[in-house]
Amino acid sequence: MVPLSHFLLLGAVLFSLGVAGIVLNRRNIIVLLMCVELMLLAVNTNFIAFSRYLDDVAGQIFVFFILTVAAAEAAIGLAILVLLFRNRGTIDVAVMDELKG
Amino acid sequence: MITEQLFTLAWILVKILAILLPLVVVIAYTTFFERKVIGYMQVRIGPNRVGPRGFLQPWADVFKLLLKEIIVPSASNRFLFLLAPILALAPALAAWAVIPFDQQLVLANVNAGLLFLLAMTSLGVYGIVIAGWASNSKYAFLGALRSSAQIISYEIAMGIALIGVLMAAGSLNLTEIVMAQSGNLLSWYWLPLFPLFVVYWIAGVAETNRLPFDLAEGESEIVAGFHVEYAGGAFALFFLAEYANMILISVLTALLFFGGWLSPFQGIPVLEEAFAWVPGIAWLLLKSACFMFMYLWLRATFPRYRYDQVMRLGWKVFIPLTTFWIILVAVAVRLGVGPWF
Amino acid sequence: MTGQALIFYTFAAVAIFSALMVITVQNAVRAVLFLVLAFVATAGVWLLMEAEFLAIILVLVYVGAVMVLFLFVVMMLDFTGATQKGPLRYLRPSMLLGVGLALGVVFLLFTVIGPKQFTIMDYPSPAARGADYNDVAHLGMVMYTDYVLAFIAAGCLLLVAMVAAISLAYRGHRAKRQRPSDQVKVKASDRIRLVKMSPGSRG
Repeated sequence: MVPLSHFLLLGAVLFSLGVAGIVLNRRNIIVLLMCVELMLLAVNTNFIAFSRYLDDVAGQIFVFFILTVAAAEAAIGLAILVLLFRNRGTIDVAVMDELKG
Repeated sequence: MITEQLFTLAWILVKILAILLPLVVVIAYTTFFERKVIGYMQVRIGPNRVGPRGFLQPWADVFKLLLKEIIVPSASNRFLFLLAPILALAPALAAWAVIPFDQQLVLANVNAGLLFLLAMTSLGVYGIVIAGWASNSKYAFLGALRSSAQIISYEIAMGIALIGVLMAAGSLNLTEIVMAQSGNLLSWYWLPLFPLFVVYWIAGVAETNRLPFDLAEGESEIVAGFHVEYAGGAFALFFLAEYANMILISVLTALLFFGGWLSPFQGIPVLEEAFAWVPGIAWLLLKSACFMFMYLWLRATFPRYRYDQVMRLGWKVFIPLTTFWIILVAVAVRLGVGPWF
Repeated sequence: MTGQALIFYTFAAVAIFSALMVITVQNAVRAVLFLVLAFVATAGVWLLMEAEFLAIILVLVYVGAVMVLFLFVVMMLDFTGATQKGPLRYLRPSMLLGVGLALGVVFLLFTVIGPKQFTIMDYPSPAARGADYNDVAHLGMVMYTDYVLAFIAAGCLLLVAMVAAISLAYRGHRAKRQRPSDQVKVKASDRIRLVKMSPGSRG
C-alpha cells in the first residue's frame, strides 16, 4: 500500500497551493474563500491519513467537525460577499479601504 | 492472479450492463407510455403510427435524435457545453449501483447506500447549472438558476425525510432497510412515516424538475430552460438523465416506504402461498411502475407552480413538517412502538 | 505498482492539478469547477483510506451544496471589476512571492513530515478491513459518546450560521400582493398619460 508520507505530501502540496492562491489572487474575495477551502481540505486529508495509519477514529471525528465549521464559514462568507457586492458594487479586495484606524 | 482480476472486472462490467441496458429500454418505453397515458387522459389516442399500436415509436424517436446534428452555439463555452449533458447523466446512472432489486440482486451492497444515493442525486445539479452557463443564453441561464435553487431547497426536505427512514430501519444499507419492513402490508414504512413519504415523493418530483415543478424548463415562460440550446445527441442525454432520475425516485420510494421486493400478501394466510411463485423483483417493478404512473398523472392534471410558491412549499412547509415528524419518530423508536420500530 | 497505489497516484495527481488550476485560471466559474474536481479527487483518496462516510459526506456537503452555492454566487454577481488580471501573463512581485511561499511551505513540510520522519518502518501500512467493518456505525459510536458535547456545539454553530446568513441576506418582506380596493379605485388618468407632440417631430 501507499506509505503514509505520500498522503502527507499530498496534503502539504494542496495546502501550499492554497497559500499560494491567497497571495496570488489578492483581488477577488471569492477566490480567496476557495483557497481557504482548499487548505482545509489538505488539513482534512492529513487527519484522515493519520486516523487510518494509527487506527484511531478520533481523526475522522475531527474531520467531521472541520467540515461542519467550514460549511458554516462558507455560508456566512458568501452571505457577506453578496451583501458587500450589493452595497459596494465590487468585491475587489484592493478597493476595500474604507475603514480607517 | 492477473487473469483472475480481469475476470472479476469483466464480471462487474457485465453486471453494470445488465442494469443499464434494461434501464435504457425502460426509459425509451416510459416516454412512449407517457405520451399514451397523457393522450388517454386528454381523450386523445396518442402515438399509434410507428409499428403495431405505435410500439416502435420510442425507437423512431431515438434514431431521430441520434441522427440529428449537435449544434454548438458559437458564443458558448464549447468544452463545458458538451460536458454538461454527461455530468447530468453520469450521477443519474451511478446511483443505480446501490439499488437492490432483490435480496441478493444488487451490484454494490455498500453500508452507506442511502448516503451514496443522496450524494449522487445532489451531483445532478451540476449538469444543469453548467449547461445553463455554458450555453451563453438568457433563457438557459434563467432555467439553470431556477433549477439549482429548487434542487438545493428540495434536497434538504428529501434528506430529512430519508433520516426518518434510516432511524426507523437503524441502517443506511438499502437491503437492510427493506428487510426491516418485512412482516405484512402494514409493517411497511408508508404507514408510520406517512408524512415523510408524501414529502419524499413530492420532493422527488421537484428534484427531477417534473410538472408541476418544471420551472427549470417552463416551455411557456423560458422556452425550454437550461437545455434550450441543445440538439440531437446532447439533448438526448439530458432526456435520458431526466427519465433515469424519475425511475430512480420511483424505485426508491418503493424500496424505502413500500417494502421493495417484499410481497404485499406477506403475512396473509392463503394469499401468501398462492403468490409465493412471484419473484421479488416483479413486486418491486410493479410498485415502481405505480409511482411512474403517478408522475405522468401529475403531469397531465396539475398546472405549473409559480416560483415563489415552489420555494415557499419547500422551505416553509416541507422542512418544518419533516423535522417535526422526525422528532415523533425518535420518540417512537425510543418507545418501540408497533411492529415498525 | 499495485492497483491501490495506481488509484492513489491518479487521484492525487488530479487533485493537485485541479488545485493548481483553481489558483491560476482567470475565470471564476472555471475556478469553482476545478475546485469541485479537486474535492471529488480528494474524496477518492479518502475512500482509499477506508473513510467511506467522510468521503461521501465530502461529496454530499461540499460538492453537492457548498460548491453549488459558490457557483451560484459567482454566476449571479457580475465580478468583471475584480477578475484577475492575468497572473500568468504579467510577472508581478506578488506572483514570485506566492510561488516562493508555496515552495517554502512544501520544503518545510517535506523536511518536517517527509519520508524521513514517517518511515514505512515506523508506520506500517494497516491491514485492509473486512467487508463487515461498518465505518458509519463505528464513527457514530464514538461521536455520540466521547464527542457528544462537541457534536452538540457543532449543531449550535450551524444554527447560528443559518440565522446569521439569513439575517445578512434578508431584505424585508417583498412579496407581490394584490390590493383589490386599489384596483377598483384606479382611474384612467392614473394609467395613461396623453402627450402632445408636434407633427414635425417625427423621425
